[in-house]
Amino acid sequence: MSTEQRTEPETTRLSFTLNGAERTVEARTDDTLLSTLRGQCGVTSAREACGIGICGSCTVLVDGAVASSCIMLTAQAAGRQVTTSEGLSPDPHQLSAVHDAFVRNGAFQCSFCIPGMVLATHAALHDPSVPNTVEAIRSYLAGNLCRCGSYPDILAAIEDLLT
Amino acid sequence: MGTSPRSRPDRPDFAMPDAVSRVRGTVEFVLDKTVENMAHAKVLRSPHPHARIVSVDTTAAAERPGVLAVLTGSDLADDPDVDPYFGAQRPDQPVLAIGKTRYAGEPVALVVATTARAAAEALVEIDVEYEEQPYVVDEVEARKPGAPTVHEDHPGNDCGSWRLRLGDCEKGLAQAHRVYTHTYHSPPASHVPMEPHVCLASWTDDGVEVWTSAQAPYAVKTGLQKMFSLPDGGVRVRALNLGGAYGAKGQIRIEPMVVCASRAAGVPVRLELARDEVFFTIGKHAATVEITTGVMRDGSIVARKMNVVYNAGAYAVTSPGGAGQGLTRAPGPYRIPNVAVDSVASYTNTVPTGPFRGAMTSQLAFAYESQLDDIAADLGLEPLGIRRQNLLRSGDVYATGEALEGLHYDDLLDDLESALAVDEPATVPDPGKKRGSGLAIIIKNTLTPSRSEAGIRLDASGRISILSSSVEMGQGATATMMSLAAGYLGVGTDKVQMGLPDTRHTPFDTTTSSSRSTYSMGFALREAATDLHRRVREEAAKLWDVTSDQVTVEGGCVRVNGGAQAEVSWEHVLGQAGLEEVVGQGVFQSDFGLSKMDPHDVHGPVSVHWHQGGAAAEVEVDLQTGRVEVLRLHANCYAGRAVSAHRVRQQNLGCAIFGLGPSLFEELEYLDGAITNPNLSDYMIPSILDVPVAMTSTAVESSEADPELHGVGEMALPAVAPAIANAIFAATGVRLLDLPLTPERVLRGLLAAETTTEPEEHSDEH
Repeated sequence: MSTEQRTEPETTRLSFTLNGAERTVEARTDDTLLSTLRGQCGVTSAREACGIGICGSCTVLVDGAVASSCIMLTAQAAGRQVTTSEGLSPDPHQLSAVHDAFVRNGAFQCSFCIPGMVLATHAALHDPSVPNTVEAIRSYLAGNLCRCGSYPDILAAIEDLLT
Repeated sequence: MGTSPRSRPDRPDFAMPDAVSRVRGTVEFVLDKTVENMAHAKVLRSPHPHARIVSVDTTAAAERPGVLAVLTGSDLADDPDVDPYFGAQRPDQPVLAIGKTRYAGEPVALVVATTARAAAEALVEIDVEYEEQPYVVDEVEARKPGAPTVHEDHPGNDCGSWRLRLGDCEKGLAQAHRVYTHTYHSPPASHVPMEPHVCLASWTDDGVEVWTSAQAPYAVKTGLQKMFSLPDGGVRVRALNLGGAYGAKGQIRIEPMVVCASRAAGVPVRLELARDEVFFTIGKHAATVEITTGVMRDGSIVARKMNVVYNAGAYAVTSPGGAGQGLTRAPGPYRIPNVAVDSVASYTNTVPTGPFRGAMTSQLAFAYESQLDDIAADLGLEPLGIRRQNLLRSGDVYATGEALEGLHYDDLLDDLESALAVDEPATVPDPGKKRGSGLAIIIKNTLTPSRSEAGIRLDASGRISILSSSVEMGQGATATMMSLAAGYLGVGTDKVQMGLPDTRHTPFDTTTSSSRSTYSMGFALREAATDLHRRVREEAAKLWDVTSDQVTVEGGCVRVNGGAQAEVSWEHVLGQAGLEEVVGQGVFQSDFGLSKMDPHDVHGPVSVHWHQGGAAAEVEVDLQTGRVEVLRLHANCYAGRAVSAHRVRQQNLGCAIFGLGPSLFEELEYLDGAITNPNLSDYMIPSILDVPVAMTSTAVESSEADPELHGVGEMALPAVAPAIANAIFAATGVRLLDLPLTPERVLRGLLAAETTTEPEEHSDEH
C-alpha cells in the first residue's frame, strides 16, 4: 500500500461554547467531538465505551439535546453550545437538581456511564416533548447502558426529581 | 452528601465518599491518567482462529511519522531479558503471538507512536503472512480424537481435569425410582465492563510503574516481576477506580503488552482497548453440562452424576483451577448421598475465558435447577417442595464430604416464596400470552486459600488512614472498608480515609474478586484495629509508667483504668511520645482449599465459607412470537451482616440485571472461527427497558450478635437464568436446554410436541 499519496484531512481552528465559556480548538475534519473534549478541553465525564453511538457513555448536550460525542465530529459543534456533566454543576458544592438526586439515591456504582445518564435525565426533564413521568424518562434513557445495573437507583432518582 | 433513602433508618448507610465526583464525572479512571512524554499503543490482531505466522513485515509501519516502536512476537522471543509468556495459572499466553496464532483476535504485533492516530495508521502498514490451520471452537469437539491441537504440550486440548466422588453414584442411580439425564449448554458471553481495559506503563532503568484497570494489582505485580526478572521493588502497580470489571480484569491481561511497549519505545505508553478488543481479551466460559439425577418416589435425590466441560479458549488464564471451582459447585445446594462429578476445561481456538461474575457457577445452576423443576413436574411435586425436601442444611454432608455449617437455604427459599406471592396477578390480560413463575438457588465456594493484609495508620493529627489493596470498582469497597474500620476503632467514619491500591504503599491482597473482600479484608482490618489499639496502649503505658493492661483505648480516647490520669485523645499520646504515626497491622490467611488437593480426588474443606443465593422470576411469554418478558425479578443472598443495606441491594439487583443478559439474549456468535458480534450493536446488554419495573432484593442476615461477614457480589446471578427458564416452563411447559432463552428457541419449543426427555423408568420397588 502506498502511504505517500494519502491526503491528510484538513486541520482547522473552530470555536464552540463549552459549559458556558467560549473554547477555540484545533481539529481535523475527522476528529470526533469526544476526542477533542477529552484531548484539548480537559473533559473527563464523557467517555468512550462502545465507539459507535450505542451506549451513551460519551453523552454530551449540544444546544440542550443529547448527542453521542463519539460519533459526532468536532466540526459539527462549531458555533454551538456544548454541555458536559461537569458543566451542569460547575461548583461541586452546589449540585444541579439531577446530580443531587443521583447522589441522594446512591444512583451509581462504577460510575463510568453515570454522567451520560445524568445528562440524558436532565435533557428529558427539559424537553417539552417528553412527559414528566417516570415511564417517559425511562424510555428516554434507553440509549444509556449501565452494566453494573444501577437502573433501579436511577429510576428512584428520577422519581425524586418528579415529586 | 446523602445516604440512600432505602437504608434502614436504624442503621444508616455510610455512602461512598466520592459520590459527587462519581456523578459529575471527575472520578479518576486510568483513561484519564496521563504522564509527561506519554505515547500510545495500538495492537494488530489475528483474523484467523488458528494459523502459522509465516512472516511479519514491519518496515513500512516503522517508517510512518510519529512511530516510536513496532513489536512482534518474534522480537520478544528473541529478547533474552524477557519471558514473553504470561498467565494467571499457567504461563501459556504469549504477549504477542509467537510462531502461530491460536484465536481470531489474538495480538500479533503492536505499534507505539506519539499519538493514538499515528499508531493506528501505522498498524495497517504491517504485513503479516499466515498459513491457516484447522481450528476448533466447541469445547466438546475439542476433546474428540482428531480434533485440532491448540497447544502441542496439552494433548486432547486438556486444560484442566478434576474429579469428585461421594458414596457410590452408580449404585445410587441403580436404586433410584427414576433417573433423569439432560445436557445443558451455556454459550460464550462477554463481561462488557463499560470501561475497556486500559493500562499506562512507564519503563525506566529502575523498573516499571504501571497504572491499570485491574482487580488484582498484586497479581499484575508478581506476573510482571517474573516476566522481566525484576526485583520486588522493581514493579509498582496502581489500580485506579475501575469502570466495571465483573471478572474481566481479575488477572494479568494487557499489562505485559503495555510494559513491553514502553520498554521498546523508551517512553511511557498508554493502551486503551477499543470495544471489539475487549471482546477479544477475555470472555465467559461456554459450558456443556451433562447431568444425571436419580430420585426416589418421594422426590428425594439419591444420586447425581455430572460431566462438565468448560471452554477455556486458547489460553489457560484461570481455567485449570476454575474447572475445579466448578467441580465443587456443580451438585447444587442439596443433600445427596452419592455424587460423581467430572469437571474439565478444554482448550479451543476461541477468546480466552476467565471468571465471569458468578464464576463457573451460572452454567451449572442452569443445569441442576432446570432439571430439578422437570423432576418435580414429572413426580407431581412442587418446585418449592422438592427443594425443601432435599435442601442442604447446617450439619449435612456436602458433595465434598465435609459437613457444612452456617447454611441458610430455608430462609432463602422462604424469601423467594414470599417474593413470588406478592401481588399475585389475577388474570393474564392477553389470551395470546401466558404467565408463570420460577425460582432457583445456588451454592458457591469463595476463593480459598487466599490472603489479605491491612494496615490502619494513626497519625499525630488524629487522622486515620486505611492501607488496603482492595480495588474500588463501584461496589463500594472503599466505603465498606472505611465503615468497618471506623466500627472496629469506635470512631466516626469522618475520621477515616482510604486511598486506592498502590503496591508501593498498600499491603498484599490476593484479589478483589470471588466476593471475598468484605469478609477477608474486613477480617484483616479487624485485626489491624486490635493491633493499633494494642500499640497505642503500649505507648501510653510507657508515658505514664503503668503496664499496658492498665490502659484502655476506646473511641480514640486513652485512659488509665481507675482514673489516675485524665483521659486524653490518642493523637495526644502520639504527640507526647514524639511519634508521627502508629500503624496497626492485620492479616487474613486461609491455608487450605482446592489448590492443595489432588485434582482427581477432591474431598475435604474447599472454602472458608459458602456463598448462598437465589432468584425468583415471573415471566409473560408471547405464544405467537416466543418473546419472554420478565415481569418481576427478585434476588437474594445470605449476607451474614450487611455492612450497607444500599450496597447489598445494589449487588443483588445488579446481579439480577446482569443475569438478564446471558439468560435472554447475550451470546458471542462464532462464524468461521471468529466472533461476528464484537460490538454493542450486535452484542446487546440489558438496557433500562429490559429491566422489570418490579425488582426486589433481600439480604438474609444472621440473628447472631456478631455474625461473620459474607460477600454479596454474585450470589443471585447464577440463579437468574434457571429461575427464568423455570418460569417459562411453568407458563408454557417448554423446557429449554440452551441459553440464551431467545424468542426463536421459545417459539421452537412451543411448536414442538414433545419438549422433555422421557425419564428412564426403573423398578417401582423403591
